[in-house]
Amino acid sequence: MTVIDTSSPAPMSALRAAAVVVLIIVGFFMPRLLGGGSVAYSTLTTIAIFAVMCYGVDLVLSYLGEVSLGHTLFWAIGGYAAANLSVKYGLNGWSTALAAIALCIAAALFLGMVTLRTREFVFSLVTYAAAVVAYEIAFNWDAIGGSDGVVGIPALILPFGFATFSGLSQEDLWPVAFVLLLLTLGFIARFRRSKLGTTALMVQMNPALATSLGVDPRKIRLAVFVLSAPITGLAGWLYGYQRGYVGPDMFESYFLVLMLTAVVLVGRRILIGPLIGIALLIAQQNLLSLGGDWNKIILGSILAIVLILWPTGLVGLYRRFGKINSSK
Amino acid sequence: MSKKLSLTTFALLASLVAPAAAQDIKVGTIFPLSGGAGPDGQTVTNAVKLVVGQLNEKGGLLGRKITVISKDDESTPAVGVSRANEMISEKVDLVIEGWNSPVTLAMQPILARAGIMDITAVSKSDLILSGETNPNAVRINSSNGFDAGVIAKYIVEKLKAKKVAFLTQNDVYGNGFQTAVEAEFKKLNFSGEVTMTEKFAFKDTDFRVQLTNLKSANPDAIIVTNSSNSSGLPAMVEQYRQADIKSTFVGAVGIMLTTVFKVAGDANNGIVSADIFFPDLPPFTSIPASTDFVAAYTKAYGVAPDKSAALGAAAVQVWAKAVEATKSLDRKTVAAAIRGQAIKDTVFGDVQFLPNGQMQPRYVVFKVVDGKNAKLEAIE
Repeated sequence: MTVIDTSSPAPMSALRAAAVVVLIIVGFFMPRLLGGGSVAYSTLTTIAIFAVMCYGVDLVLSYLGEVSLGHTLFWAIGGYAAANLSVKYGLNGWSTALAAIALCIAAALFLGMVTLRTREFVFSLVTYAAAVVAYEIAFNWDAIGGSDGVVGIPALILPFGFATFSGLSQEDLWPVAFVLLLLTLGFIARFRRSKLGTTALMVQMNPALATSLGVDPRKIRLAVFVLSAPITGLAGWLYGYQRGYVGPDMFESYFLVLMLTAVVLVGRRILIGPLIGIALLIAQQNLLSLGGDWNKIILGSILAIVLILWPTGLVGLYRRFGKINSSK
Repeated sequence: MSKKLSLTTFALLASLVAPAAAQDIKVGTIFPLSGGAGPDGQTVTNAVKLVVGQLNEKGGLLGRKITVISKDDESTPAVGVSRANEMISEKVDLVIEGWNSPVTLAMQPILARAGIMDITAVSKSDLILSGETNPNAVRINSSNGFDAGVIAKYIVEKLKAKKVAFLTQNDVYGNGFQTAVEAEFKKLNFSGEVTMTEKFAFKDTDFRVQLTNLKSANPDAIIVTNSSNSSGLPAMVEQYRQADIKSTFVGAVGIMLTTVFKVAGDANNGIVSADIFFPDLPPFTSIPASTDFVAAYTKAYGVAPDKSAALGAAAVQVWAKAVEATKSLDRKTVAAAIRGQAIKDTVFGDVQFLPNGQMQPRYVVFKVVDGKNAKLEAIE
């Protein structure tokens, strides 16, 4: 267990806690700092939602060492739950969120059981197949939207007992997206120090050791996979409200490539890695866009280059250069 | 950051050099400019630019020049939403959008919430005009319901068919079209019967099983929906001829595009279909606004404009007429001058809009006489 213990960070000092608080405050007012325009709000809200979407994949990729190509499924479940339940049954945000979480857990349990014995390539393939099947179902099943999707999603309503939050515009939804991002970051930070997180890492790094310590790797894998699903699902849930429209495009490879690239770009097992990764990618697409074809080529190339040349991401690259410099 | 900076600098310089520039009316276009639908989106965008250029030559609109800002939605709803947000920040006065229905459906609420006038040029989904995504929606392209009406009318009144079969693409588009045609049959008191329905998937390219079944059923007409006009439909046309089926191939509205003629050539001969714009068929050859546009477009881009180009051109013309009539750029005012109103002198002639924002289409039913050269002959 010593291997694992060293990886868990020391308890937070007062200074560090203060720094985190300052970062949170700066983060919350970020749209204002960037001019407060509708593009600042919509871009940052999108980044926050997409970052949460990525953290689901990050959990599986960083702590199980597996590439899930099926997380678009959970992303879409979140969106479809929000859309169908709010449009057809007029349910409020809490109910649709709970439904999204429950459906994601159910789907992840099923998919996790099926893929329990699969590793690496086969795991990726089976999760991908699941997403393709789900796409076909969503595309052809008129009751949940069919190929046209669901329109007319109302404002996000969140009753708090004493007051009711109602968010329609990007400005309104920014606090929700920001809080969801904070909760996700908090959850991931806790997970990294939890018994499940450390054991998962041990199962990935040294399966023989884990087994000899009486750990059942399959249980751990299933638990982490099931935990990851509602994270991506909740992002899809909020995305449904933000866009006001949910359709089978939520299964598109656009989101899949975004998730994977954002997670590996900065480096695995870095808490704010996916957040920085997705911010860089969205900034490139919106501010430094080279046109549709080139953007896809760039995104694909980044993913390939990072995976082939620097599997440890930008942080690994920085460390490597750091080593070269210090050895001089 | 540097791009933003340079843009600001540029805007600053521009405002110093030409104070009038700030007064320009801005028209935004959001269509796919890359990927598979890229060439189609380019066509619509080019048509918009051409018509805006023509308006500027005549002194612009409300005494102001018009500039076009065109963006690429990459056929992806998520990207379309980003582009719509950029249009909002650029404070455009009009957005002309929509090749794919899902992209349109995703952008509509964003633009509507920001109070920006939005005209859908091509996307056909019925949800676009439902009022839920945009209470002031306007669409130029025909709807599935109208399309079904013209096809049913041809089958019942012109072909006087007794036995009809469907070869239907198994999705919302194909099944929806079939349901609508069957409903129209009822309205027209169709005395014949639908003897067979065969289905296939959008991506299919081998239809021999379905065609063999259809051949043995030997109906008078086979109504075909197939929106895969670059691969599936040409293959279907070829296989239809190889199977030597005697029934009339009746194509759904708008599926017989240049790519089908290019690939399947003379196998297209005898196919009957309908559409809402042709550069070289009556009545369009006698509509001055249409002949002017066809000449200008051919001169500018080297090819005759197709229906998509006409839809883009009409979007600008309709909006410009409404702005001139109301002397306003306000979304609700302009939309009210279009929805339920008649607009004169567009590439489609004098057109009427329904209260829900749908432009009433004028169809031409045609027969393919020389597929290789895409020569059509109007029926009626």
